[in-house]
Amino acid sequence: MFIAGFAVVWAVNLGTLPPAEFVFNNGTEVKTIDPAKATGVPEGRVINALYEGLLRSVPDGEPDELGRTPTKPKPVAMADSYQVSDDGTVYTFHIREDAKWSNGDSVTAIDFAWSWMRFLHPETASEYNYQLFYAKNASKFALVDLHEGDPVEVEMKDRPVAGQMFPRGTVRRGSLLALIQPPAEDSHTQDDGHGHGGSGISGTSIFVVEFDDESEKTIQAFTTQSLDDEGIQALVKSYQGMHDLSELSSVEHVLFDFQHVGIKALSTHEFEVTLNSPTPYFPELVAFYPLHPVHRLSLEEHGDREFTKPGKIVGNGPFLLKERRIRDRLRLVKNEMYWNAPNVKLKSVDVLAIQSETTSLNMYLNGQLDWDTKPPNTLIPLLKERDDFVSTPFLACYFYRVNTSKPPLDNPLVRKALNMAIDKQTIVDSIVKGGQVPARSFVPPGMNGYQSGYCGEYDVEQAKRLLAEAGYPNGKGLPTIEILYNTADSHRDIAEVIQQDWKKNLGVDVSLRNLEWGTFLDTLRVGDYMVSRSGWIGDYADPNTFLDMFVTDGPNNQTKWSNSLYDEGIEKAKYESDPVRRMAIFKEMEQTLMDEQPIIPIYFYVSLNMVNSRVKGFTANLQDVHPLHLLSLDSEGAEP
Amino acid sequence: MQVLTFLFKRFGWMIITVWIVFTVSFFLMRQIPGGPLNGERVLSEAVRARLEARYNLDAPISEQYFTHLWNTVRLDFGPSFKMQDFTVNEVLAQGFPVSAALGILGMVFAITIGMTSGVVSAVRRNSVYDYSFMLLATLGIAIPNFVLAAMLIVIFVFNLQMFPAAGWGDISQIILPAFCLGAPFAGYIARLTRTGMLEVLGNDYIRTAYAKGLSPRTVVLKHGLRGALLPVVSYLGPAIAGILTGSLVLERIFVIPGMGSHFIEAAIQRDYTLAMGALLTYTVLLFVMNTLVDLAYSIIDPRVKLE
Repeated sequence: MFIAGFAVVWAVNLGTLPPAEFVFNNGTEVKTIDPAKATGVPEGRVINALYEGLLRSVPDGEPDELGRTPTKPKPVAMADSYQVSDDGTVYTFHIREDAKWSNGDSVTAIDFAWSWMRFLHPETASEYNYQLFYAKNASKFALVDLHEGDPVEVEMKDRPVAGQMFPRGTVRRGSLLALIQPPAEDSHTQDDGHGHGGSGISGTSIFVVEFDDESEKTIQAFTTQSLDDEGIQALVKSYQGMHDLSELSSVEHVLFDFQHVGIKALSTHEFEVTLNSPTPYFPELVAFYPLHPVHRLSLEEHGDREFTKPGKIVGNGPFLLKERRIRDRLRLVKNEMYWNAPNVKLKSVDVLAIQSETTSLNMYLNGQLDWDTKPPNTLIPLLKERDDFVSTPFLACYFYRVNTSKPPLDNPLVRKALNMAIDKQTIVDSIVKGGQVPARSFVPPGMNGYQSGYCGEYDVEQAKRLLAEAGYPNGKGLPTIEILYNTADSHRDIAEVIQQDWKKNLGVDVSLRNLEWGTFLDTLRVGDYMVSRSGWIGDYADPNTFLDMFVTDGPNNQTKWSNSLYDEGIEKAKYESDPVRRMAIFKEMEQTLMDEQPIIPIYFYVSLNMVNSRVKGFTANLQDVHPLHLLSLDSEGAEP
Repeated sequence: MQVLTFLFKRFGWMIITVWIVFTVSFFLMRQIPGGPLNGERVLSEAVRARLEARYNLDAPISEQYFTHLWNTVRLDFGPSFKMQDFTVNEVLAQGFPVSAALGILGMVFAITIGMTSGVVSAVRRNSVYDYSFMLLATLGIAIPNFVLAAMLIVIFVFNLQMFPAAGWGDISQIILPAFCLGAPFAGYIARLTRTGMLEVLGNDYIRTAYAKGLSPRTVVLKHGLRGALLPVVSYLGPAIAGILTGSLVLERIFVIPGMGSHFIEAAIQRDYTLAMGALLTYTVLLFVMNTLVDLAYSIIDPRVKLE
């Protein structure tokens, strides 16, 4: 009994941590707080508090008719100003003189150049690396896309800390004389030409590099495989070219020389980025968290994973990581070294990782949370009546993917008929009920200067006609169509309504299949479905974030849909410097997407937030971003 | 000496069990569709290839098995797939004490409430106390812990506002989940104690004790309880197993960052390394607990031989 008593005291003491000044639920445990490796909205909330990029996307300007404040990337961050060259391809950022890391070091252009190099480095394997492929030669560096004659950097196998990526081993720079690869059928080289994929060159390659060190030229052969590798030995044996492979040595990496990538520190405070083409939304990307810098010295000292730990992490954002409890909370405290510290009002913040929406709402109603980011859908009609419910349409679309390789869905007429036979208004009014907007296009309305495409209203007669035209009058001859969704009540309810609509309006038999999340993703990826539920949240306020998904074989396309005109249009928009013409191209492309209908838009999401009335500075906006450093607490405010 | 042989044998069996659990779950995990690298956004081929290489997922499955097995033998479970800032060992090190705290408190609730009401029921047989305690015990056993949790949240969190709804960080947050966890076992223990007690109280030596003039309290607590403990102790083995698995559900409801939460999430997210780490920890834990219960049993009742 005594032991048990002691154990209880020990156990209870272990977890004690009084709540912070401001507590909010982030919805899930963040995957990582390393900007280069993170993806996802919850990660963004934390990383934007701990780190700061050159620009920041902040609510700015007058609210629109729906009460949404526009968000704009502005130099109210590490950069205090930036210039764009006349042709729109060279950005020069001026980093503010008083920008400091939390340990007192100055934040410099060199920090950014190094961090972006790390972000692009193939070994980092950043999922977002394509966001920076707009910079000149960046994709060559990241995808190891090498050709003979290219400048290269060779990293030797002499890393100071074994098994740790940084500090790097000795890097030698030269030019690639020859690239020796196994015959084509062995190497699975692939390049989809859209900057999203392409696995570069096969690992089993030999690089012959010429170094030009101080008037003496040397030529050496390298491989990134071990010398005992069978493929490499076979390659050496079968090689009949002019180069001497007897001195072949094994190295860590042979990459496109980063000095030739359009990312440069001109001085300690001048940072220059050269783009392939004018990219009007490049400032949006610069403000996006994957491009936030990390502190080189602490990363090199502690390693790629350890440097994110409380006590070791060095940040440049408005907050510091004080404590981290896995699947419980991150405790943030104000960073006094932050350049704008006097204007950061919150002293401490708890970021909770509660997955259950009900529990989270319970805690909010009970006063344990100041901000609930995910109230349960079923209770929205009730919550909507409350003053502390902050909701507005934002840049996200709920849609169905249609597998265009499965007959009869390979026929665009059938796909169009299916779209027109869905009563989206009813879904919005009686299922999701949060003020969502029925979607007649894929790109949500509200983007500056963009007029969305159009896929038609709910029109049963027209749908019937289209189906008859496709050769299935009154649904005769159509096989059963299967709707795939990941297990969740809300998805099932919507699928059931659509099932009824299609049956009633078109005479099509529909079956439902639900799969657990992990299995669902896999099924979608291999294309083993007919119609599948999907959702997409825009990364930035530009149609590109939605439309470039559906280029041929794009990793997120997953519908097998392919249209070369569409691919060309999306590519053309990249190089278009006139914003009006660019938007016109996008609109035309979206219309193509809507006409061929590899996707069926259902509704546009609304942001759902419960915010305690004592919280000030919380503005509804198009991207549903609420930077923590702009919030403050009104001590007079009421508890709910 | 006998104890040492017993422990040694048990240890041997544990190693074999752990190895079997490892092997079966290693291959089962890789059989289910989905994988740790799948997310809502699809990775480009280049990034996927790099990540597979980083986690050794591109090696032949037999090679993966032996590498992972060797690392496991060295107690290195590797990095977590889905919480990239942590190794599995770090996750377990943070989660284990939390679950242990919850489990211990749940167990303490179960034993104290269960034994007290059991003894009272036996001594006051067929009284109002007896009937109401046994009714409660039956309810406690019958109601699943997540239903109980929902009821208690409504009563204590919203109506009486005595406890916070969920979370982990101070004493008030541990009471409700620990109670829900312990309740069914308190029910069982109450019934076992009552039965054991009734049997013992009918024995001759109890009558002798009363005849010697001992007070009823001494007779019940000193002579009666000891005999009645046996069934309770033998029930502790399954109870500990039940507490371990029960906390899986409750940790989720009450948002407690313990082993259970990590285990469930790891399985859902296909976090191979973390799922394996948690699974093996549970295996070892169950084995150790059962061994301890067997040891305790032999101490309380010398007739029991350790095998």
